[in-house]
Amino acid sequence: MASVQDRVKSVTARILEVDESAIKDDDNFSADLGAESIQSIELVASFEEEFGIEMDEEQALSVDTVEKAVAFIAQVCQEQGVEV
Amino acid sequence: MSTSSRPVSKEEIQQLEAQGCRAESWQDLQVSETFDPARVQNATFAGKVQLGSNGGTVAAGGRLSKPAGIYGAYIADCTIGNDVRIANIGSHIANYAIGDGCCIENVGTLETSAGATFGNGVEVEALNEGGGREVILHDHLSAQLAYLQCLVRWRPKLAEQLDSIAKKAVDAVRSDRGTIGAGVTITSVSRIADVNVGDNAMIRGAASLTNGSILSCPEAPTLIGTGVIAKDFIVAEGATVDEGAIVGKSFVGQGSQIGKQYSAEGSLFFANCEGFHGEACSIFAGPYTVSHHKSTLMIAGLFSFYNAGSGTNQSNHMYKLGPVHEGKLERGCKTGSFSYMMWPCRVGPFSVILGKHTRTFDTRDFPFSHIAATSDGRCEMVPGLHLSTVGTVRDGAKWPTRDRRKAPQLRDIIDFDVLSPLTVGRMLRGLQKLRESSESTDRSKAVVTIDGAEVRRVLLRKGMKFYEAGIEMYLQERLVDRIEKARGQNGASLDVCKDAVFSEEWIDVAGQMMPWGRFETLCERVESGAIGSVDELQSAFAQIHELYGEDEWAWVAWAYQKHFGQSVVEMSADDQKGGAESWRKSRTKFLNLIAGDAGKEFNEMTSTGFGVRPDATERDDDFVAVRGTQDGNKFVKQIQEQIDEVSRRADSI
Repeated sequence: MASVQDRVKSVTARILEVDESAIKDDDNFSADLGAESIQSIELVASFEEEFGIEMDEEQALSVDTVEKAVAFIAQVCQEQGVEV
Repeated sequence: MSTSSRPVSKEEIQQLEAQGCRAESWQDLQVSETFDPARVQNATFAGKVQLGSNGGTVAAGGRLSKPAGIYGAYIADCTIGNDVRIANIGSHIANYAIGDGCCIENVGTLETSAGATFGNGVEVEALNEGGGREVILHDHLSAQLAYLQCLVRWRPKLAEQLDSIAKKAVDAVRSDRGTIGAGVTITSVSRIADVNVGDNAMIRGAASLTNGSILSCPEAPTLIGTGVIAKDFIVAEGATVDEGAIVGKSFVGQGSQIGKQYSAEGSLFFANCEGFHGEACSIFAGPYTVSHHKSTLMIAGLFSFYNAGSGTNQSNHMYKLGPVHEGKLERGCKTGSFSYMMWPCRVGPFSVILGKHTRTFDTRDFPFSHIAATSDGRCEMVPGLHLSTVGTVRDGAKWPTRDRRKAPQLRDIIDFDVLSPLTVGRMLRGLQKLRESSESTDRSKAVVTIDGAEVRRVLLRKGMKFYEAGIEMYLQERLVDRIEKARGQNGASLDVCKDAVFSEEWIDVAGQMMPWGRFETLCERVESGAIGSVDELQSAFAQIHELYGEDEWAWVAWAYQKHFGQSVVEMSADDQKGGAESWRKSRTKFLNLIAGDAGKEFNEMTSTGFGVRPDATERDDDFVAVRGTQDGNKFVKQIQEQIDEVSRRADSI
């Protein structure tokens, strides 16, 4: 199974229509990858589907970079007993 | 106005003639006991004219006080009150009763023709330019009356009765003589014909006013200003029509403002609307409909609590049998800059519409949605997104504070609640549709279409989550409200009031929300003749309004049982505490989301345009100097205060 990081980048690339290989860990979803607020919602929804988890909206939307998203999702997966 | 009058004396006639005055027949001139002939100069009287006392002064604007009297005027068949100043009338004043304390200066013509109805009886083709939904203007029109007449056409007997009620109101004002109320100022106006003017109205520099009524009162003076051209109109108390506005076959409601060259044709604007720069054609603008920008056309639509972005436009160029438009944006919608909608369309409450939509959709069951257009004009919806955005919350808070109506009688009944049985009921229906779609859609599908709007599949569950959160927060909040109310009444129960009416479905009658059952009963009473006058109809709406809280609680009791499987009526004290605790969590979470959304206004991206040089410190300092900080923001502070208040209230249950 691909790593959390790879899966986060894959989902991000698909939703934001950017080149996956160009996504860096410290990229900001808005400033660097061009995510608009609607796309942020879609990203959260897509991460939930990808990992089979439920994320707290408020916390999820406050995550601003790819590496923070990876850490946050890994933590939620652990809390919800989802193997990654 | 003077009640005691006498014929003008021989001595007075001699003095008047010496001062350049003439009369077709001096016997037809009646004056008050205290009439001062020195204050009538270069005046010609025709027909029967009655003059009041004229020894005082009138306020003439610009802190000026001028002597009452008549100076340069041709006056025919008029009754003129006490202390009125009439000066520099270019052509004539004919067939008017002019109230005490008026100042009429530099007016070309002021006249009433036989059988005038003063804008009453004009049929406005609102919502549908092609006709079929005509609203008859009259002095007692309200948003609710107009809604019934305009929209409930599937009940022909009701339409017939409403026509009859309206026509009675029209007949009541029909007259050969117009009225200028007390304390009215009319200055520098070219022509006023068949226009009634209420007390304390100000008409300054209008170009032409024909067949209309300017309703006005001391508490809410109405202003008709510079360059206004109005024909076949009624303007209600406290409204302003100014700065070159063109108004034709239209109603302007209490506290509304039309100006800056706005053009309104065949349109109805109810309380607190604003129209500047743009154009309205055949619209039904419910309370708080606002359009401020150039190139904004609102056409053949129903709106309320609406804000039109610049360049907003709607049309239907596909018509074949005439221009049938019929678009409905339910309360609280906004359209973004250069948004375009192809009517007919129907948008659920509190939605935001962006882009150029060339397809018809009906999202009535998806309130608070984000509705954007794809590049080829299809509708793409994020259901429920704006439930927890800062804009919705700010709008909901600002409307009640911006009620400009000051008249003793408020015509339009307005229920301001953002969350109500109307909107939450729609959320329940939307939730069901999203659930069904989610369960029946394969993961391979990226997009599903619901009611003409496309929804990305991954957002179906997100929309359900938004709606569930909104529904639960509302129901829990109303429970807490009711518990508090019951405790305030020394142990009153949470029972549903016997006078309450429950209907699963509610209707928004141009700003007034009510259960469908109440609406049906009202319609039946009109049809049967039990309600037969404008006053009775207004009174019926007011009675429904008084029971809004009880009707709402009946709905909440039903919805609580449906959603949570628990009866609010049979709740134990522990159950109530549990409900309050759940409300604390849901409400606090909601407020934190709002605060988070407000916080986006202070992030790095937002400050991009600030500063001059490419220097981050300068940019940030400039931003803070202009916009302030998140922690110091008034709205953010209010949110925090609300969170504290939620905790305090929940603790007290």
